[in-house]
Amino acid sequence: MEKNTSPKIDYTLISIVILLAIISIFTLYTLEPYINEAFHIKQLVWYIVGSMVIVAIMFVDYDRLHQIAWILYGFGMLMLVMLHFHFPPGIAHRAGGAWGWFKIGPISIQPAEFMKVILIIALAHLIVMHKEKFKMDTIKNDLWLLAKMAFVSLPPMGFIALQPDLGGFLVLVAIILSMILVSGIQWRIILSLIGTAVVSVGLLIFLFVSFPEKIDQLAEDYGFEHVERRFNAWLDPANNTQGDSYQLIRAMRAIGSGQLSGKGIGEFEVSHIPERQTDFIFSAIAEQFGFIGSSALLILFFLLIYRLIHIGLQSNDPFGSYLVTGMVGMFTYQIFQNIGMSINLLPITGLPLPFIGYGGSSTLTYLIAIGIVLNIHYRTKVYMFDS
Amino acid sequence: MGKNKKKKNKSKIPFRLNILFVFIFGLFSLLILQLGVVQILNGEEAQKKIDETESTKAYLSVPRGIMYDRNHKSILENESTLSITYTPPKNGDKPEERLELARKLAQYITMEEDKEELESMVRERDKKEYWYLFNAEEAEDRLTEKEDELDSGEKYQAMLYKITEEDYNEYDWSDSNLLNIVAIKKELDAAREFTPHIIKNENVTEKEYALVSEHLYELEGIDAKIDWNRVSNVEDTFSTFIGNITTTDQGIPRENETYYLTRGYSRNDRVGTSGLEKEYESVLRGQKEVIEFTTNNNDEIIGQKTVVEGKSGDDLVLTVDIELQQAVDKIAQEELEKFYKSNPSENRYMEDALVVMMDPQTGEVLAMSGAHRDRETNEYLDEAHRVIYNNNMPGSTIKGATVLAGLDSGVIRPGEPIYDTPIKIKGTPTMSSWKNMQWINDIQAIEDSSNIYMAQIAIRLAGANYQYGQPLRSFDFDAFQTLRNYYSQFGLGVETGIDLPYESPGIIGSSPLAGNLLYLSFGQYDAYTTLQLAQYVSTIANDGYRVQPHLVKEIRQANGSKETLGPVVESFDTNVLNRVSMKQEYIDRVQQGFRRVVTDGTARSHWSNNPYKVAAKTGTAQNDVYEDGDLKEQTYNLTLVGYAPYDEPEVAFAIVVPRAGTGNDQNGIHHNIGNRIINKYFELKEQRMIEGKTKKTNETEEIEE
Repeated sequence: MEKNTSPKIDYTLISIVILLAIISIFTLYTLEPYINEAFHIKQLVWYIVGSMVIVAIMFVDYDRLHQIAWILYGFGMLMLVMLHFHFPPGIAHRAGGAWGWFKIGPISIQPAEFMKVILIIALAHLIVMHKEKFKMDTIKNDLWLLAKMAFVSLPPMGFIALQPDLGGFLVLVAIILSMILVSGIQWRIILSLIGTAVVSVGLLIFLFVSFPEKIDQLAEDYGFEHVERRFNAWLDPANNTQGDSYQLIRAMRAIGSGQLSGKGIGEFEVSHIPERQTDFIFSAIAEQFGFIGSSALLILFFLLIYRLIHIGLQSNDPFGSYLVTGMVGMFTYQIFQNIGMSINLLPITGLPLPFIGYGGSSTLTYLIAIGIVLNIHYRTKVYMFDS
Repeated sequence: MGKNKKKKNKSKIPFRLNILFVFIFGLFSLLILQLGVVQILNGEEAQKKIDETESTKAYLSVPRGIMYDRNHKSILENESTLSITYTPPKNGDKPEERLELARKLAQYITMEEDKEELESMVRERDKKEYWYLFNAEEAEDRLTEKEDELDSGEKYQAMLYKITEEDYNEYDWSDSNLLNIVAIKKELDAAREFTPHIIKNENVTEKEYALVSEHLYELEGIDAKIDWNRVSNVEDTFSTFIGNITTTDQGIPRENETYYLTRGYSRNDRVGTSGLEKEYESVLRGQKEVIEFTTNNNDEIIGQKTVVEGKSGDDLVLTVDIELQQAVDKIAQEELEKFYKSNPSENRYMEDALVVMMDPQTGEVLAMSGAHRDRETNEYLDEAHRVIYNNNMPGSTIKGATVLAGLDSGVIRPGEPIYDTPIKIKGTPTMSSWKNMQWINDIQAIEDSSNIYMAQIAIRLAGANYQYGQPLRSFDFDAFQTLRNYYSQFGLGVETGIDLPYESPGIIGSSPLAGNLLYLSFGQYDAYTTLQLAQYVSTIANDGYRVQPHLVKEIRQANGSKETLGPVVESFDTNVLNRVSMKQEYIDRVQQGFRRVVTDGTARSHWSNNPYKVAAKTGTAQNDVYEDGDLKEQTYNLTLVGYAPYDEPEVAFAIVVPRAGTGNDQNGIHHNIGNRIINKYFELKEQRMIEGKTKKTNETEEIEE
């Protein structure tokens, strides 16, 4: 077996990310007159910082992540716990009703964003360790793996849900599900898991529609009013014209009126949508460039995912594949959720559109993820006879 | 074996990844599909929604009409103010929401430009509350178990108490923006559900007003309003009759909601609730301007048109001479005080000095004053409403009407002598005049104020047989009605018709004892308002023509200026209510009698020095104070009615001082008031004539130049 050990840099992936960066900065630039803040400059700075981080990551073999997986996990958990207790006071920061930030001077950090990648690393490490210890694919072993994954995943999920950050919580769910799928757990377990999930979600929706008042009360008692409110806004935007529905109705008008080819650069007719620079940035692209422009962006995203999966398939190191799978889950869910909520396919949850929407911690997290993926590709050993 | 397993393990990854890929492909397809629906299928619909405009009608208040006195001196004005208000929804907004609202508002308004002032507005408690908003859980953790069980209000206090300076200094309290936010939030916190609370109404700049108005869509509960206040230029003078209006918060009176709503009022409109403000509401309110604003989908105003042209409320020119009014207020109060102090014990029940002055020919009211002494605090107050609300027995002042009734009914002939000697009817106390006058005629009866002459007229009206010490035989009780009918021709016992929302019609006695008719005839039975007495004497002065007293002379179109007046919209001329049924010669006799009261009769000593030709009639009605049926004090209503000049009357007056401690005319507070107000009237008249002349001369000179 001969090895091709020459490192390869995936220029396709890099090009896609650069294109996304250009779209992001350009869109933020066109929005500046409407939000009166130069987010494009800040975003550019974050991209530069992120690129430097990617370069730094490239120097270290991703295999080293095995060694620091639990350290990273511990660090991430520590930050979440600190946030939960609003510690340290004055630095732990609350915005949009959620305790989700550390704010030091002008810079705010959102630990939940970093936790996404940290969890991917931890789970990938966990699966690899498990597979090495239990070589047999028995039901018992698979269940044991599931239990371990749950044990690692539930604490961060819990703390993020309590912030409360529904969007962040659901991203973790997507990451875990995709990694469960690829970890090789047997179909019968996966199918029964899916079955349980479908039944419980169905039941929840049924309850919500049948006993709206009781659910109202429950949500209020447990501090999840915002979840319930958004769900309502999604079901019936016309009758919930305040707050979330206002956002949705205006976003839908902006996107819809873009029609096939859009209104042109900087031509906005819907001047005010809350959070348009982050969660609702898709509406800005769709209004300016129409169906053609927004589909092009979707295709670009799809290419990104395709490229990630390609790298995951190429990697003959399971650790690499698991890592990539986690990233795929993370990106896919965020893209689908963000664009889906803008076009009333899904309820609103606070999530930025990856690479496009403004956000320091999020952009940095995604670039770190890309850095890890590039690293995996860089160090993938191609066996001549394998391909 | 192990190797095989591992291989199998590994080969699972690509397959599963491919499944994931297919699933993702499905998701993206779903997105593109929905995007197609939204942008291509429903795109035009969305564009239509964007192009849709919305029109909203705004009802803009117009300035309420203002008031001038008869000499065009401004009495009542408007002062406009801009204000920003907050109306919380049911159960109020949550503290976080209020903070958010305060943040937004702080972009547009500044509670106080001066930083030091602003700092003093935000107190320690406000800083603590601000800290608490972000650290509620920590604050709660600090409580002891015992404190945890307190009710929520006390618990909150306990938590605030435990917040230290160090805690709240986590925030930068030198930041004016933060101070501004907290100062605004403090106002928001003070508001109650559904009740507009003023956040700022002093020094609201045009810019702040415009900014807030533009951003109302994102400021739920916030409103920007133009408001105005009524401002008097003459302090409290005449304020009772000018009346009050509701505030914006009170709006239209609940009990008459439909009445106002059907007349185009909105619920928070301000309306007159008393006095002239109420009486002339329809004149003063004007016509609201209705503007239709067109807004686009971004809530930006893209057009506006005036649907209804607004019209300011019309102004009122009153008949009152405000300078005279102020003087009369002062005279009444001074004399009341002086007279009270001359014998505080005897006069302890004396509380009021009521005065009405009017033009007997036109009914224009020149002044209405009511000085009131508060018996508890001994303070002197302006309670002018008593002039039309309080009823007092008039005493002899009404004898002019009794004599005219006698003459008109024919029970006495002009100049008929009657023997004045005490009358005793079985079962009632002996009646007499203040002295036994023996043979007197009608004019002398007025001049010397004979009770017996009046009583004889009453007996004759009733067709009764009188014998000393016997009951009245064949007494016709219809005589009560007959005599009252005569009185009502002069306005006694009926409404005068003054242009105010309420006036008392007087009190008509109901006891059918025959003796009461005799008392009625010399003013010791029915009770009348001071205004009624003024109308009565005016009728005599005006040769029997009873005119309606009124306070508004003209309605004038508002011209936006306080100095000059707009064109006359409506002018209120003399309104003759009726002509009494007596012949002119009879009225002449009573006028003569009134004149002789001043020159030779009961009022001679008080009026001998008065330079103006006054005709008058005095009155003293016994009005003893009883408490629980026991006589507490013998008190008297001192009354005086009159007019001047005798030949060509231009001012009539009525003065009533109820429950004075003495009926002795020598000590006449009413005469002092009468003298002084008449003198003041003519003084002002002369002064104005001189001023008018110089003004005219000046004007001519200017033209010549």
